[in-house]
Amino acid sequence: MSAGQFAFFMNLPTLVCLGLVLAYPIGYAAYLSVHRVGLAQLRRGEFPFNEWENYSRVFEDPLFWVAIKNTLVFTAITVTSEIVLAVLIALLINQTSVWTSRLTRFLILLPYAIPPICNGLIWSFLYNFQFGFLNRILFTLGLSDTPINWAGNPDTALYAVTVPYIWRTLPFAIILIHAALQGIPRELYEQAAVDGARAWHRFWHITLPMLRQIIAIILILRTAFAFAVFEEILAITQGGPGDATWVSAWYSYKITFSPPNNFGMGSASAFILAVMIGVIALVYMRVVYRRVTL
Amino acid sequence: MRALLHAANIAVIVFILLPVAAVFIGSVQSEKSMQADTKRLLPAEYTADNFVVILSKGEQKGRIFEQVTYLPDNIKKFYTAFANSAIVASSVTLLTLLFGSLSAYTIARQRFRWTLFLLQANIVARFVPVIVLMIPLYIVVRSVGQLNSLGGVIVAETGFLLPYAILILAPYFDAIPPELEEAARIDGCSRLRAFIHVVVPLATPALAACGVIIFIASWHELLIPLILNARPDFMTLPVVIASLVGDVFVFFNLMMAICLLALAPTVILVALLQKYIVEGLAAGAVKG
Repeated sequence: MSAGQFAFFMNLPTLVCLGLVLAYPIGYAAYLSVHRVGLAQLRRGEFPFNEWENYSRVFEDPLFWVAIKNTLVFTAITVTSEIVLAVLIALLINQTSVWTSRLTRFLILLPYAIPPICNGLIWSFLYNFQFGFLNRILFTLGLSDTPINWAGNPDTALYAVTVPYIWRTLPFAIILIHAALQGIPRELYEQAAVDGARAWHRFWHITLPMLRQIIAIILILRTAFAFAVFEEILAITQGGPGDATWVSAWYSYKITFSPPNNFGMGSASAFILAVMIGVIALVYMRVVYRRVTL
Repeated sequence: MRALLHAANIAVIVFILLPVAAVFIGSVQSEKSMQADTKRLLPAEYTADNFVVILSKGEQKGRIFEQVTYLPDNIKKFYTAFANSAIVASSVTLLTLLFGSLSAYTIARQRFRWTLFLLQANIVARFVPVIVLMIPLYIVVRSVGQLNSLGGVIVAETGFLLPYAILILAPYFDAIPPELEEAARIDGCSRLRAFIHVVVPLATPALAACGVIIFIASWHELLIPLILNARPDFMTLPVVIASLVGDVFVFFNLMMAICLLALAPTVILVALLQKYIVEGLAAGAVKG
């Protein structure tokens, strides 16, 4: 068997899987997005072509734009705070001579182990207006005597759902930055110490520039994934109160899978989300795998 | 300076442990004790009844649930859901490791234009949001009569997680020196035998790292089984838990108990295999 044939056979299962579960459904989603697909059409198995009607209905839906706006705000908040926190915490757990830092380092992966839907429910318990754990902490510490409606207030709900998401996805960013810190040559710091550079200067002129590549990677990856946030929204607010936490994935899910089950419009809106994330993916490929030598 | 570092560490540890403390404290008290005093941090009395009612399939109600006539069926199906989650996550892990290592190895070793293209396709595929796949997959799986089956979920999750597995595995295979297989080939091994007998044993850490990451991802996956499986007999744990969200008759304490049971397996895995997870996460994101 030649090398080419061998490589082909080795990749056959992957090609079948990618075709079946990724390529075909994406093509089919594009198809559905320009056809009328409701429950009646699903039963009959005939999807009449309706040109761009699904897209124009999505674009005319104010809720769609609310969802886009909320998604952008959610993404901006989670990604920026994650990067800032991850750099700080990675530097913190890098202090191997401090015993509390070793303890933090040991615990850092814990949020990664929690299923997103459980994370959402736990935080919805923390945030609960009447019985919530967070209000109990405030009372016990004497910081407040009136309960705060964290996730039930339309002004704060979107911020409230960012915290659980940051909590769950932060370990990934910390681990990447911590790994990158190990790769910075010691000599750079030693030289700087000889030159009498202060800690702040060392961070600004050595550490941060050396972390630029990994920060770019985290920025892109986390932006793409935050765009598709779903579980925490389902568990904590279900898009509410009102439309305060409707995000794009939630919009597509609700349009499609709750009455009147408009699969066509759902596909159109999900396709718009996929295109936005696709652009981010191409940027990622440029940044990370620029010379695709692996 | 040291005091400052300690303070910062304590702040981070408190933040990490806050939800964990909440799920523990919530799960060991009754609805009544929670409502009796809404300002108290620790419960007045502790009880295991929330766990007992879940683990006895709703048969042993204990003191808390004595008066309760309604319990959601999904709570009673805890063992089924746990088994479904375990079957799905194990099958998805095995299949992605098998297909993924075959692919990642050829991508790392055989430099053809199309293997390079396959790598790029996997990079882009990793970004595909589940929701865009689920609408067409629902219609397709429905039309072939595979809604409410574990098979449908396993196939969908395998396809969805395979690109990520390949991205994690490829750098590991790339780092294994090719001289070893070349020596085996000279001794008359076929390409496949050289791969199985020389490369795979050397790649055990890679398979461990990738396997545990994929297992966790599958154990946590909500949207795929939520949309494909609506019957309680085929629900996985995240779906059962999501089904309690809108149920006004289920109180937080019971939810926290079932959450704790659902998150325990992956927490144990992470505690045991931390080293591999850290390596795998880094390999899957940055090798360029």
